[in-house]
Amino acid sequence: MSGYQDKIKETAERLLKEGSVEMVVGFRKGTLPMMNEPCFIRRPEDVRQLVWDSNCGINLANYLTDRKEKIAIVAKGCDSRNIVTHIVENKIKREKLHVIGVPCQGMVDKRKVAAACGGDIEAVTEDGDVLSVTAGGAVQTLSRMEMLQENCALCAHRNPVIYDELVGELVAEQTGIDRFAEVRRVEALSPQEKWRYFEDLLAPCVRCYACRNACPLCYCPTCFVEESRPQWVGKGQNPIDIRTFHFLRAYHCAGRCTDCGACERACPMGIKVRQLTSKLNKDVLDMFGWEAGLTLDQRPPLDTYKPNDPNDFIK
Amino acid sequence: MITFKLNDKTVQGEEGQYILQVAQKYGVEIPTLCHHKALEPAGMCRLCTVEVFDGRRSRFVTSCNYPIWEGMEVRTDSESVHQGRKLIVELLMARCPDAPIIKELGKKYGLSDTRFRKEEDTCILCGLCTRICTKMGNSAISLTGRGVDMKVDTPFHIQSDVCMACGACASVCPTGHITLEKIRSSVTAVDFKPIPSEYDMGLKSRKPVYVPYAQAVPNTPAIDRSVCMHFKTGGCQVCTEFCGVNAIDHTMQDEVVELEVGSIILSPGFQPFDPSKFDTYGYVKHPNVITAMEMERILSASGPTSGHLVRLSDHKEPKKIAWFQCVGSRDMNKCDHAYCSSVCCMYAIKEAVIAKEHAGSDLDCAVFYMDMRTHGKDFERFYNTAKDKHGVRFIRSRVHTIEPVPGADDLSIRYLTESGESVTEVFDQIVLSVGLEINPDVVRLAKQLDIDLTPGNFCDTTSFAPVSTSREGIYVCGAFQGPKDIPQSVIDASAAAAAAGENLSAARNTLTKAKEVIPEINVNGERPRIGVFVCRCGINIAGVVNVPSVAEYAATLPFVEFASDNLYSCSQDTQDNLVSIIKQKNLNRIVVAACTPKTHEPLFQETLANAGLNKYLFEMANIRNHDSWVHKSSPEQATQKAKDLVRSAVAKVALTQPLKESDLQIKPSALVVGGGISGMAAAQSLAMQGYETHIVEHSSRLGGQARNLYHTFKGEDVQKKLAEMIRDVQNNDRIHLHLESELVQVDGFVGSFKSTLKAGGKEEVLEHGVAVIATGATPLTPAEYAYGKDARILTSLELDRRFMNDDPALKTLQSAVFIQCVGSREPEHPYCSRVCCTHSIENALELKRRNPDMNIYILYRDIRSYGEREYLYKEAREKGVIFIRFSVDDKPQISVDGGRLTVRVTDHILGRPLELETDLISLATAIIPNRDEKLANFFKVPLNADGFFVERHAKLGPSEFATDGVFLCGMAHYPKPIDESIVQGKAAASRAITLLAREIIQTSGAIAEVVQANCSSCGVCVSICPYSAPSFIEETARFNPGKAQINPVLCKGCGLCVASCRSGAIRLKGFDNDQIFAQIFALNA
Amino acid sequence: MAEFEPKIVSFLCNWCSYGAADLAGVGRLEYPPNIRVIRIPCTGRMSPKFFLSALNEGADAVWVSG
Repeated sequence: MSGYQDKIKETAERLLKEGSVEMVVGFRKGTLPMMNEPCFIRRPEDVRQLVWDSNCGINLANYLTDRKEKIAIVAKGCDSRNIVTHIVENKIKREKLHVIGVPCQGMVDKRKVAAACGGDIEAVTEDGDVLSVTAGGAVQTLSRMEMLQENCALCAHRNPVIYDELVGELVAEQTGIDRFAEVRRVEALSPQEKWRYFEDLLAPCVRCYACRNACPLCYCPTCFVEESRPQWVGKGQNPIDIRTFHFLRAYHCAGRCTDCGACERACPMGIKVRQLTSKLNKDVLDMFGWEAGLTLDQRPPLDTYKPNDPNDFIK
Repeated sequence: MITFKLNDKTVQGEEGQYILQVAQKYGVEIPTLCHHKALEPAGMCRLCTVEVFDGRRSRFVTSCNYPIWEGMEVRTDSESVHQGRKLIVELLMARCPDAPIIKELGKKYGLSDTRFRKEEDTCILCGLCTRICTKMGNSAISLTGRGVDMKVDTPFHIQSDVCMACGACASVCPTGHITLEKIRSSVTAVDFKPIPSEYDMGLKSRKPVYVPYAQAVPNTPAIDRSVCMHFKTGGCQVCTEFCGVNAIDHTMQDEVVELEVGSIILSPGFQPFDPSKFDTYGYVKHPNVITAMEMERILSASGPTSGHLVRLSDHKEPKKIAWFQCVGSRDMNKCDHAYCSSVCCMYAIKEAVIAKEHAGSDLDCAVFYMDMRTHGKDFERFYNTAKDKHGVRFIRSRVHTIEPVPGADDLSIRYLTESGESVTEVFDQIVLSVGLEINPDVVRLAKQLDIDLTPGNFCDTTSFAPVSTSREGIYVCGAFQGPKDIPQSVIDASAAAAAAGENLSAARNTLTKAKEVIPEINVNGERPRIGVFVCRCGINIAGVVNVPSVAEYAATLPFVEFASDNLYSCSQDTQDNLVSIIKQKNLNRIVVAACTPKTHEPLFQETLANAGLNKYLFEMANIRNHDSWVHKSSPEQATQKAKDLVRSAVAKVALTQPLKESDLQIKPSALVVGGGISGMAAAQSLAMQGYETHIVEHSSRLGGQARNLYHTFKGEDVQKKLAEMIRDVQNNDRIHLHLESELVQVDGFVGSFKSTLKAGGKEEVLEHGVAVIATGATPLTPAEYAYGKDARILTSLELDRRFMNDDPALKTLQSAVFIQCVGSREPEHPYCSRVCCTHSIENALELKRRNPDMNIYILYRDIRSYGEREYLYKEAREKGVIFIRFSVDDKPQISVDGGRLTVRVTDHILGRPLELETDLISLATAIIPNRDEKLANFFKVPLNADGFFVERHAKLGPSEFATDGVFLCGMAHYPKPIDESIVQGKAAASRAITLLAREIIQTSGAIAEVVQANCSSCGVCVSICPYSAPSFIEETARFNPGKAQINPVLCKGCGLCVASCRSGAIRLKGFDNDQIFAQIFALNA
Repeated sequence: MAEFEPKIVSFLCNWCSYGAADLAGVGRLEYPPNIRVIRIPCTGRMSPKFFLSALNEGADAVWVSG
């Protein structure tokens, strides 16, 4: 993967130098280990900041919304699918983009690593599947594959969907993965158990909206949670309002969510918010055979009305 | 007016009224058993006893026949009244201990038993029966004897000849002492039956005063003179006592009205065939043999069994049902109907599927048929789904006899399977799929009008003037023109209207009057001042809901300035009153709590407009259809519900804003895309009715596919007629031809389209108000049956060409084979091409005409010669054309071996392969839609999975699109023969003219609007709107570039975009978020 | 304690279900008086927030039909 990093720098430098883009959106080292942060490079000399490793989980498509200048963006599979969605939804124009595609092998879940090491992480290096983690002064080695974010472990679209150039060979897509086992488990619960489950799931929420802000799909000028007339959702910590927020947010992502995991990664309380979007992803796949962000030619199924839309759920 | 006190409350009544009447008016309940509104009170039951205080002393009187007087004080609820009534009830309990109504009263007065000696009577001698009998004008019974010997009796205790068994006595008897059964068995010799409801096929009864069915237009009751007692005896007229607006006039006479008209349209329809004469089916004898029309009622939620599927003999749920097709169709032996009724295959499949939906998939449904004729749009798909998904059994067999199973209500039949095996099967119920026939009265009418009929007694028409009768100025539509289903009838109807309009276009708008417009008061910024009008609707609402209390409650709601109740809110005097109250009280929002807005909102909105209020400042609370009519046994809850609904309406109306309707000019011109036969028919009609019409055709000639056809099924020469039609189109000054032209761009919308045509590199922009899509379809080039490998293998159209060229070689042929369904009814084109069966038979007959000795074989899957096309099929068989059926899994094989051309096919009767050596093979190729996505995109109209255009409504809107101002005809809609193409061409013109003739249309004010500040430009609204109302503001615009906007002309106000907008940027005027929230909050308050 | 009487808020499409409820009235089909109807122009107008709100405000059930 270190090859990727050099290729990214090289490409970014070339693009900026030849002036074909005004800005390159990529990752640079963050202030904390395992916390790479988005960066916006406008000068060729700054490309050395760019990095690529297993800590680039943030969805960079989020930074493209309504940009007018010509931008190059480093995009792994899920970012590229959100770029597609962005183009379809008029958030950015294809011709204003230069997509530097990154065939992805999954991002590492910092919480999993922390739990495995049992202490504050001081440094991490990776080599193939081996993660060397320094925590509490001691170095431990972990399997990268075992530390993947859940959405990455279940990812079926690691390769970018659209790109202008690639930084490496396309990777083999994962096969034989059961993406919706967890959804089915919840679906099978009795109504009472389900109620308990969602009550517990959302109980820790502090309404910080980090999940929303990390999500490239959430770009409305005024989010429904902030509207006051009508006030769709109460502002406080009332559990009903919390649930309303999460349910409605999930519905707004139906047919558009790429399961990039940005929401879950951003949640300071560790809430598995993907549980809600995954359910809708499953339904949309079952009913419409649709996965978000794979084509520029079609709007998501919930954006269209067809008389023969599936309606077996109405009895 | 007499004023007195009722339970300490001051009330008023008319001179001559009785206490009970006034009490009822004020909603004070007084129990009674012998009172009837239409009869003189008799004070027989004594239950209505009340206490009257005259200033000095009080007395007990029967309120039903005690007249009111000034200053009296009446108590209906005092302890002594209560005790008195209790004693009366106890005495009644002794006389009639088992009468349910007395038991009920006992319970109400806290009596579990009576202290008096019980008699086993059921008559309380209230005398209602004798009084009503007198009222009926009969006096067949009276009260005889005195004191304890008194009873209800006939004169001299003998059976009465006077009794007409009207049942009035039974209907008023409070205790159930008199029943219809008793009258039948002991009192009268008259044999009487309930009046059968025509609508429910006699499976239900109706009253002499009745509304034929719930959706009847006009939805007012009629009196059936043939059964009404008044018209027999001169008595009764009880109904007049109950009609609150004195609308009943028994003296009305039939009137002969003479109308001067320029055109006449005949649409007398058909009657279902009466299968009584099929004695082997036992329809008359066996209740479980029913007609499909009866089955329709049984499956209907409003039918005699409320949609519960039961058989009639024992109300058992059937487990097995069979449908017999072609009962009264395709049958010369028993009913003289040689034609196919066209609709029965499809309705039988529909009934089978619905029956399975109602009764569960375990229900066994079997359809016995000769040919399965699902030739309509999407019908073949429905047939396949019925077979494959619902498991309906389809058995190709005509059953001769239905045998009742002895000792059971079941029915046994014997039939031959396709393999020739004899099978006996027992069914619980058998449905006869009866055909359509013309009523003898209609045949008489036709004679009177001097118009020609076909052998089947349908109206005779020609293929090129399919809605014109043989007499000029008289037009026809619907099943009288030939057996047909709903879409085809609707197309006919529009076409007949167009034909009549072509005659009358000079007179258009000569009999119209302009409406006076009252200036609108500006209520912007005013605090809501709401008026609430609660309707009694006679007793329709007030009989259940406590209307005064609802009005009183309404007055307490926020912003309500005025609340009252009235007898009929919709009556003219109330409307006038409403206008004056609005003005007087300066009201700016109105709520009417009455019936349903679906019927009455426009009326009240007009009243608002007459009072100078914007008509959208209005809301209805539906306290009749959704309340009093459906909750009559729980009046208290119904009253509470009425209050809730009024509260919700008030909450909503307070937030309502005046809405603006805008005028839309309709350019008086049309664009017809496609110069085939239906396009030309549309253009002709439009031009004849005065509208400039452009035909754009991509080829260099008019005529389309019709240029390839030889004869119609009626034998008309297509080329001759087509040439006349083309000449007529070319010579018409109002029709502008654009040949070899292509549509390259369409802008605008209903009323003002701008279309860009490109011809020979030059572009031209046409402005037009409406567009008709008539782009037709094309024949499939077959990839099977060795087509193209031998000159003797032709398509149907190639054979037509040879007929047209009068190819002498055709006479010399020894043998010809026709192969049907080439490409149709197969996975790639899973629909029936509709015309090919008739076409091949017609061509086979043409070959026979040229060489009667020719051996002709038609290899088919189902012969679909619908309607009177069936005669051709019959004729072909008579002339020796051999029909061999094949299955889609075992299609005919063709071999070209040197000079020998042979077809191998498995004979359906012998089950053996046959080898036919032939000189000619004609392939009935499928009709393939153009799947014109570009055009679909231009006009924002949809295509279906097959590639045909999708009409607004499969049944009711077949010649128009959901997109306003765009119409559809011809094979772009679905494969169809010439007559049907012309009909639909005219129909599309007819529908277009409903718009064009209005010149200006008002758009609704209740539409969606974008709040651009909140818009995220995501485009959901643009994508999701079925009417293409939202669009993006141009990127170069000064304000809000790239944001969404909604064209008020195209918006139908459905709110799909509003609900889909994640950004909350769209509001729906009239159903705004805050209004719906206000309703939610009000209902849960 | 009185028997439980659910409060049902229903959103009916003007073109079908609302008309069907009208017709139920014309046919005098009796049903329990627990339903309160809000007329909407089309079920396409229905926002998930409407039924969440109705439930939040105390409705025991929400019925959307169209």
